[in-house]
Amino acid sequence: MDKPELVFSDLGVGKKFRALTYPVTRDLVRTFIDVVGDDNPLYEKGLRDGAIAPPGLAAIYARLSYLQDHVMPAGGVLAKQEFEFVAPILVGDTLAVNAEVVESYVDEKARKRVTQLIHARNQKHEVVTTIRLSVIWPK
Amino acid sequence: MPAHVKVGDTLPSLEKVISQERINRWAELSGDFNLLHVDPAYAAKTPFKGTIAHGPMSLAFLNELMMLCFGMDWLSGGILADVRFVSPVRPGDRITVKGVVTAISNRQDRRYAECELFVEKQDGTKAVVGRGISPMRTSG
Repeated sequence: MDKPELVFSDLGVGKKFRALTYPVTRDLVRTFIDVVGDDNPLYEKGLRDGAIAPPGLAAIYARLSYLQDHVMPAGGVLAKQEFEFVAPILVGDTLAVNAEVVESYVDEKARKRVTQLIHARNQKHEVVTTIRLSVIWPK
Repeated sequence: MPAHVKVGDTLPSLEKVISQERINRWAELSGDFNLLHVDPAYAAKTPFKGTIAHGPMSLAFLNELMMLCFGMDWLSGGILADVRFVSPVRPGDRITVKGVVTAISNRQDRRYAECELFVEKQDGTKAVVGRGISPMRTSG
């Protein structure tokens, strides 16, 4: 069954999404490195568990964290984003990613603005990334 | 770089070529199959008049640059802030990821470099702008 669209009226302040479980696998990291073209030796090409994972994965798991049960309506605009990398993520880690709506309002130009605060924790429950995503929601 | 970084330093730049194939692979990686990114026929009928790259792909490039310059320090307190997507990146674009150090500060016994970051297209248009703030090992 197709997922429903995630619409502005679903996104009141305080709305929390179920935690996303995001395994940082070797395959994922290798594919990421290949697509981005980032051959930083710190990542060891993602060939072994325990190697450093690229921080750019954050933009992927942040988005997935609020779209597990919905699809994004067409026409959304990423307004502003902030990522804080608290601690390294390692290949083989499994992240739990929690998103919560912290701001939701219609601005003076009738644009629907939503800000989400997203925390990713590793399997030791340590926060590894904090993300603040502001989106102009399409409908 | 952290040992000698000073205000006004330019970060080493990265060049990337954006293709529809790369965009499609990002869609598979991220699960974002928005037709604006992956369906040229659909995208041609939108105000963008063609497919555009996913914004988070450009974020990955900014992270690549900061990792190249600051390494593990970036992963233990680095902040990518005020990121805005100001013009679309399209298939066929050749982009350059750039940065310049704008401030050095000390907070809580750590030294930080603040950098202006941007993704620039081949015609000089900025596609993405943001700031990167990275701790630096005081030992260099």
